[in-house]
Amino acid sequence: MNLLTAVAIGVPWAAGILTAATRRHARAIGFAAALVSLAASALLLRGAPARESLNEALMVLFASLTLGATLVIPRRDCTPGTMGGILYVLGSTLLAYSTENLVVLLAAWILSTVPFFRAQWFGARAWRPRIGLLLSSIALAMAIAVIAANGHAMSIGGLKGRSPGGMTVFGLLVAAVVFRKGICPAHAWVAEAAEGGPAIPTALLLNGHFGAMLVAKTIVPLFPHIAGEWFPLLSYLALATALYIAIRALTENSPRRLLAYLALSQSACILAGLESGTAEGVTGALVHWFVVTASTMGLFGVLRLLEVRFGENLTASRYLGLAEHAPKLAVFFIVFALALVGLPGTLGFCSQDLLINGTLASHPQTGLLLPIATAMNAVSVFRLFARLFLGKRRTGFTVMADALPRERWILAAGVLFVVLGGLFPNAIVALRSAEAETVEQAMFISRPATADHSRRNAFNTSLPSQHGN
Amino acid sequence: MDYSQAMLVFAVLAPGAVFGLLALLWLGGWVPSERVISRITGVTFSACILALVTILWRLAAAGHSSVTVTFGNWFTVHDYHFPLVLLADRLSAPFLGLTVVLAGLIGRFSATYLHRERGFLRFFLLLHLFAFGSLLAFAAGSFDLLVGGWEMVGITSVLLIAFFQQREAPVESALYVFAVYRACDIGLLVGVFAMHRWAGTASFAGGLPALTGSRATLVCLLLLLAAAGKAAQVPFSGWLPRAMEGPTPSSAIFYGAISIHAGAYLLLRVQPMLAQSFLASAIVAAIGVATAIHGTMSGRASADAKTSLAYASLTQVGVVFVEIALGWRAIAVIHILGHATVRTLQFLRSPSMLHDYHMMHSAIGGELSPTGKYLESLFPERAQVWLYRWSLDRGHLDNILDRFAIHPLRRLSKFFARLDSLGTGTR
Repeated sequence: MNLLTAVAIGVPWAAGILTAATRRHARAIGFAAALVSLAASALLLRGAPARESLNEALMVLFASLTLGATLVIPRRDCTPGTMGGILYVLGSTLLAYSTENLVVLLAAWILSTVPFFRAQWFGARAWRPRIGLLLSSIALAMAIAVIAANGHAMSIGGLKGRSPGGMTVFGLLVAAVVFRKGICPAHAWVAEAAEGGPAIPTALLLNGHFGAMLVAKTIVPLFPHIAGEWFPLLSYLALATALYIAIRALTENSPRRLLAYLALSQSACILAGLESGTAEGVTGALVHWFVVTASTMGLFGVLRLLEVRFGENLTASRYLGLAEHAPKLAVFFIVFALALVGLPGTLGFCSQDLLINGTLASHPQTGLLLPIATAMNAVSVFRLFARLFLGKRRTGFTVMADALPRERWILAAGVLFVVLGGLFPNAIVALRSAEAETVEQAMFISRPATADHSRRNAFNTSLPSQHGN
Repeated sequence: MDYSQAMLVFAVLAPGAVFGLLALLWLGGWVPSERVISRITGVTFSACILALVTILWRLAAAGHSSVTVTFGNWFTVHDYHFPLVLLADRLSAPFLGLTVVLAGLIGRFSATYLHRERGFLRFFLLLHLFAFGSLLAFAAGSFDLLVGGWEMVGITSVLLIAFFQQREAPVESALYVFAVYRACDIGLLVGVFAMHRWAGTASFAGGLPALTGSRATLVCLLLLLAAAGKAAQVPFSGWLPRAMEGPTPSSAIFYGAISIHAGAYLLLRVQPMLAQSFLASAIVAAIGVATAIHGTMSGRASADAKTSLAYASLTQVGVVFVEIALGWRAIAVIHILGHATVRTLQFLRSPSMLHDYHMMHSAIGGELSPTGKYLESLFPERAQVWLYRWSLDRGHLDNILDRFAIHPLRRLSKFFARLDSLGTGTR
């Protein structure tokens, strides 16, 4: 671990302890620590080779998110405990992204969940999130224990292509992904975490995307042979999850649950893209990772700002007319929402385009579920927007301030990211494309060339030929 | 980049740039006056008209039939490209002209019509975004870029239907329209993907992607799904009367002129491919005929002026679909231009319809006489009653969609909710 990595991880942890100890200036300390962490991560990214910069890019993304969270979090929520927990999650997540050691990865995986078990930090009460996170940690711990028992080293680089522990370890790692990412049937904890826990820290937890990280960083490089054979099952499961959750979201009236479902459904597509094995699919998945992260964080941020202004019991079962009170928050919400579901003018459009191409190319039948799920999610997110912001102005609500300057600038930065990324996507897509090649190569290492070819051309062979009529 | 190319780029980008600038200034806290907004709109669309006239004049002088601007690829991954090509040819130029002229007119009309309306700035922002989306769709040199403009038109359409946001009915209608658009756009997305896979490109700047046989049929049918959704063809016609909840100027330009014809434009674009497939052509014609009959019947039973006009539009677009299926491209384009112009005028006059009638009655010194024999009187009385009920319920299309699509999905969603709540004791 070099100095910059140590700074990126250590400063947030130290600041978290400082916040808890002094119990003063929580926002200022949190902001400063996240800023230092972001700067260190950005320097790491700058020095990383283009094809191997995924870890560093994810570190920059998550540090940026946390920086935004320290600014956008309402004063009511900005307690030393919450800010300490957020900084602790930041340090743990960056540790998970940066490490090349399986034991350290397991430690970071567990540490990132600890604040959600302690009532003093995030005050979460629901049991399902704890069970989901616990099971994912147990599955990962067992996988690493089996690898260690077989006498393998703990370095990810040293284990590449060696399938340590065979099917047992592969199955356990997939189980860890399923529980952590909320893939069906282990999806229910995500909505409960969003509804029962603190909104912004929960959004950070979900946007760590530890499940996708485990796939890209560990499962694909370590198990190329097994992954090639069994990985499509995870892809089918992810696409089924995307559709199941999209249907489930159609009648959901709790804004927090609905946002959690949308985030879950859209992020399930990341797994499908990673598995597709096509350059478009993998690149689309990596770009989509960034889009989902930025947009869901923005959406949860706006929702929390609405809750502290207009009450915690907001509902999508009737029209609330909040755009009359908070037009700028309405605009931020709709832009993030449109980006999440891939409407043009946002980076989401590019990522969806690539994802659809990639998944349809490798799985012509099941790949169709992706655009269908996205279309349903678009309807759900527009319904949520309409119910929250449109309709008759409720006189029961006191007139409240629209986005404060602090909130406005940080939300505007998020909007600029998704919009400018949508207008000039090549910079982001080209970087992710280089990283995607690394992931793709890892997937196809040692695989027979014919199998590779048939996978890429699954669409061509599964549909009628040019003159087949 | 020569002068014509620069003008084409300007004409397409100008409304988008104005939208972006006004939106950023609003976010920064500046709210321009109505006069400033309407002047900016007037200058923008006048400049766009001038740019397009210049292009046409230079093309005619040089004897060229099209101008193409290639910016390379918007993004590239491996051998997949998203080409950024603008094209003004004999097909797209009339649509580009129609868009900028009507958008300018609507802008001028709306400055008075929406005077002191609370959403004045919002309307003009969306008008610029809509014009940008339409111009992008019509000037696109590839289906990839067309999708971008197409979806932008869809979202502005939906936001304008919900313009009177204080009332719930327009917002509900907007949601319904959005759902239909998104469902049908799946056809466009998958169709474009299929072109990439089978032909290696979705660009048509140098001719349509080379597809024949069953592949051409499948692509045409997928694009037909998108076209039918956007053009409110049977069985997706139910959204059109709901879309009339928006302000009259937006109804005029969307459902009298531009948006409603975007589906026809898409089919005109793929018409050479369509002509290779008898099955796809026959389905296009059948949908067109069904829509024309449905439109004329439902329009006759509609009680309000805007809905009647919307169904009249539908009838004409149905006929345009038939013309495209028969390969009459030039007639279809002329039909669209004439229809869009007349229908926009009718929509814009619809709030003053009673006043117009009174003026005519005064002028002729009595009531207007009925014009010709009504078609329905040719049917037996029982059939007339049945047809009236059928038309009044707009062909039962909404009920069919409700029963076979919306309700099953809702029930499934609630079943999933019950599954998820197992063990928590909540629903």
